[in-house]
Parts: sequence; C-alpha cells; structure tokens
Amino acid sequence: MPKAEYQRLTRAQSRSGIADALMSRSSLWLGQDHLLCVDSGGFTETYKRFYFRDIQAFTLVASRRRAILNWILLVPTVPCLAWLLTILVSQPVPDRGMVITLAILTSIFALPLLINNLLGPTCTCRLRTAVQVEEVPSLCRLRRARKVLGRIRPLIAAAQGGEVPTEIISTRMRELFQTQAVTTPTEAVAGQPGAPPPAVA
Amino acid sequence: MNTPIQCPRCQAWLLEGVFNQPELVPCPACGVPLQTEIFPAFFRPINPGRAGEAVMVEGESSCFYHPQKKAVRPCDGCGRFLCALCDCEFNGQHFCPACLETGKTRGRIKNLENQRMRYDSIALALAIYPLLLFYFTLITAPISLFVAIRYWNAPRSLVHRTRIRHVAAITLALLQMTGWGLLFITLASHHRS
Repeated sequence: MPKAEYQRLTRAQSRSGIADALMSRSSLWLGQDHLLCVDSGGFTETYKRFYFRDIQAFTLVASRRRAILNWILLVPTVPCLAWLLTILVSQPVPDRGMVITLAILTSIFALPLLINNLLGPTCTCRLRTAVQVEEVPSLCRLRRARKVLGRIRPLIAAAQGGEVPTEIISTRMRELFQTQAVTTPTEAVAGQPGAPPPAVA
Repeated sequence: MNTPIQCPRCQAWLLEGVFNQPELVPCPACGVPLQTEIFPAFFRPINPGRAGEAVMVEGESSCFYHPQKKAVRPCDGCGRFLCALCDCEFNGQHFCPACLETGKTRGRIKNLENQRMRYDSIALALAIYPLLLFYFTLITAPISLFVAIRYWNAPRSLVHRTRIRHVAAITLALLQMTGWGLLFITLASHHRS
C-alpha cells in the first residue's frame, strides 16, 4: 500500500465565530515540505499550504474558551444533577423513568464538560509568514498545539538551515525594531493613526 | 522588510524575553500568556521582485509576453521564452503565468490546487439525508447512484483518499431502490389479486 501523502496532525475543529463554526471545520495535515490546512465546508474542501521554508513564527495565546465552555455546560448540568440526586435521596422507591430521563439529560451536559476539561487549556494559534498572519483553528488546545509544534519544529529548522539561538533573537529583534522606528514617518506620533504600536521589552 | 512580532491581544511589539520559551510567558504589555516560536525565515530579508532587463542588441531573444524585455529562460510548460518578470519559479520548475494558471485550473499542478469538490460526500448526503422523509428517496436514490458512478474517478479529497463514501452511497442508493422496487411489485400483485 503506498504511503499516504499527508499525515493527520489534528482532527477537524470548528472555526471561531458562530457562523463559521456551523459552516466549516478545519484540520491540519503534515505534507512532505509543507503544512496543509484543510477547511471543509460541506461539499467542498479549501486548502492552504504553508511551506516549511516560509514559516517565520508561531504564536500561541492562552484563551478563555475552556472556561466559557465550562460555564455554558455547567449551568444545565448542576440543576439536572441536583434534581437527580434529590430524587434518589428523597424517594425510597424512585420513579425509574424519571431517574433514567434525568441521568440521560445530565450525561448529555456532563460528558462534554468532562471532555472539555480532559482536553486541557485552550489557546489560539497564529502562524506567520512573510506575507500573512493566519489563525490555525485546529490548534485550539495548548497540549495539542505544543505536540504539533514539537513535531514540525525540526522539519522547519531543517528546511531553514537550523534554529535561531535564543540569545541572538533579542539582539536581532532590537536591531529590527530600531530599523522600523527609523523608517516610520516622522509625522506619525504615538497614539495617532499610522503610529507604530507601543514596543515592550 | 519584516515587521516585528505583535501581541495578538494588545498589538504591542514584542522585542525580547518572550521568544522560543518552553512555557507560556505573559506579554509584557497586557499580561496575556503567550508563547512565540521564531524561525530563521523571520530574519531573512525579503528579496525585491525582478523587473526584467530591456533588450539591448537587435536579434537578441526576447520575452514572449514582453518583446522589449530580454529572455532569461524558457517556460518548462510551453517552452515560450520568458523575461525575469514572467519567470515564475515553482517547486524548482519555471513556468509562465499562463501555464501556471492552466496548471491551477485544470489541476495539473497539484500543489496549486486550493479547492476541491467532494462528490463522494454529495452522493452520500443524497443517500442519507432524505431517509428522514423516506418518500424523497424515490427521487434522490437514483440521483445519488448517478453522482457516485459519474464522479467515481473525479479527484477526491487531498487528505481522505479512500472511496468509502462512494461505496456507501452506492450501497445505500441500491438498497433504497430495491426497497422501492419491492414495494411497487407488492402493490402491483395486490392490485391484480
């Protein structure tokens, strides 16, 4: 059997935003010399390729998605569970139909709640090339994102001739920032349109 | 020129202390936990596009698309002479813009394809969804069968390479059509008797 051209890195995840989440799902695949981001929208698939030689940076930012989902699922879970426990404790011979109904109802909310917490903290992942900054919706869990990053880091480093030592990054960033500051128009004043964002060190 | 990395939340430029760290570190400006991995391509200068040299000597080979520009190489697709402006390098090969467009639209250069229609999913959806209102399957089952057979050899998804959906759609459609056939035969025999 021939070797598959692409290896799955992540399962399909909903895109952020309610409309997008309903319409399309995104997954990430590993190709020979690139990452393939597949957006499936019903009966079509849209592909975006990010070649290892072009990837400049990955940024992971912790998000509150897990906490929000927890609250959304906790609100119906708690009353259902409380009701179920009340029936079980208060009635010597509980109504079996009611208990089964409530147990199913509780599990409908409790199971996703459990899975949401087992999958770990959430994040948003942005991939940067020379001409774009793309969000990678399928890397929405920190643990998974780190795992994927650990897998593709050596491939990117190999395609770009090695990794950048951490001590060099700061120096070169500072040089870059100074160049940017010099090339910024003189009329651009901090706080006004066209002014560079505040720099932080 | 590359612009510095910005914090996705507050848009502040990140300069040092947050790059290639093993854990999330707070953004020095807004405090949001982030992890930024930088690769050598970030520091690579962006090469300016080439304009193409003008033909200086009469009789010198010139670009097919720009006769006043000097040809630098032939197109690997059609063999036309190209100037530096028209020379599009892709995966180690050199194409003219027309060949690149043709390759993209006709799917000849697979790495340029950015969209595919999932005919197998259409066929399967036509076989499954109408089951909710089963009498629709009288019409949709033959359509599903037609789509599955007509597009059997059509390019499938780049990543899901099996024909399982096609097979499932054909099986379901045939079952539905058999069911309708049996129903009509039964009704006909009842009508006769």
